[in-house]
Amino acid sequence: MNPILVSVLSMGLLALAFATILAVVNRRLSVREDPRVEAVLEALPSANCGACGFASCRDMAERIVKGDAEPGACPVGGAESARRIAEILGLGEVEVVEKVAVVHCAATSEQKVKVAEYRGVTSCSAANLLGGEYACRYGCLGYGDCVRACRFGAISMVDGRPRVDVERCTGCGKCAQACPREIITLEPYDRERGETIFVACNNPDRAPAVRRVCEVGCIGCRMCARTSDNGAFYMDGNLAKVDYGKVYESGNWDEVAEKCPRKVIHSTGRVRMERAA
Amino acid sequence: MELLLIFVAAVLTNNFVLHYFLGICPFLGVSSRIETAVGMGLAVIFVMTLTATVTWLIYHHVLVRFGLPFLEYAAFILVIASLVQVVEMFLRKFSPELYRALGIYLPLITTNCSILGLALFMVLREYDFIEGLVFGIGAGIGFTLVLTIMAGIREELAFADLPRAFRGAPITLITAGILALAFMGFSGLIRV
Repeated sequence: MNPILVSVLSMGLLALAFATILAVVNRRLSVREDPRVEAVLEALPSANCGACGFASCRDMAERIVKGDAEPGACPVGGAESARRIAEILGLGEVEVVEKVAVVHCAATSEQKVKVAEYRGVTSCSAANLLGGEYACRYGCLGYGDCVRACRFGAISMVDGRPRVDVERCTGCGKCAQACPREIITLEPYDRERGETIFVACNNPDRAPAVRRVCEVGCIGCRMCARTSDNGAFYMDGNLAKVDYGKVYESGNWDEVAEKCPRKVIHSTGRVRMERAA
Repeated sequence: MELLLIFVAAVLTNNFVLHYFLGICPFLGVSSRIETAVGMGLAVIFVMTLTATVTWLIYHHVLVRFGLPFLEYAAFILVIASLVQVVEMFLRKFSPELYRALGIYLPLITTNCSILGLALFMVLREYDFIEGLVFGIGAGIGFTLVLTIMAGIREELAFADLPRAFRGAPITLITAGILALAFMGFSGLIRV
């Protein structure tokens, strides 16, 4: 018999046999997927950052379709993705507060009082076990765990402290989880004003103790609480805090920040101007 | 005894990854976490075992019978591609987590040279059916073993303070090289 004919025939039959097996298996093991999962997945950022608390964007899409998660539960996608998901699922308008990461410690390595030398593993979580190099037990350790945690390249270390690029920050909160001293929090971002106002200190100690360890720490003088026109700043023990329900209504926060003797009230907008200068 | 020798050779002395340097792509791609490495390893064991049996049957009962051994490459690739498809569908149904964790590397088992290598070695060394089966299982276990060891090392390495130039791929390749050297230590164990 012609070898070419035999080859073609045998190969063709083999292929046909395998194709049949595959077809049968495919029918037996077919997985029916809700088409909306695919659509919701499209609307998500696909960063798989895990900020929502689910294993992946796909996992979250499945939960959203099932109704276990809110359409706006993705902190990275923000309002835009929430709107699109709500549309896919036929839900109404959803409101999402946009948040950015702020660092509650603005002391440069020179402004912090150094009391030790650390030569261990260069990570904040490791250094925190021993207390780190600086006298302030509440301040930034400066090894950049937050920088490594950020999937969006929004954090960089400048003068020994993290700086958040609000343009890149998606508010996923990975950095806040990474920080062993919980210096980073997510706070509402005011889109109209293009800034987030925050207190750049996390030290709850009394004034003398704060003065001993840092040049720019909050000393709890209550100046901000007194000068604010609508009570946008309040004292939590010896540490000033921002009331985010009120601060963006306040007319005179600039003045308050100016009056602060330690210049501890910051704005992300101001950070941006500083960088441009 | 012969079977035991074939098995030990496939797992240790003539390991597919570290002796023949076959299947390096998943070896580097899926070895960053032990969990996925084990999953990948199990998938490869499954595919290799099935490949060994099915290719043996096809080679001896189809290709040799009709005088077409020159078609072994085409036939083997056909077998491997179909088997991987089956495994993929199976995983998608019964373990969606593993299916997603393996990602692109699962369909890439199709083009994994260690599996084609397995089928070709089997023909070259003229194994009978049982020997081929043991060889397939052994090769799969060897691949899993090496992949898991590598994943374990890389999980530890993730915490190491490496010079910038060595981070990522370079240290992985160096680790693979040292691991291969270490496996050469087995080579006096038996003769194949």
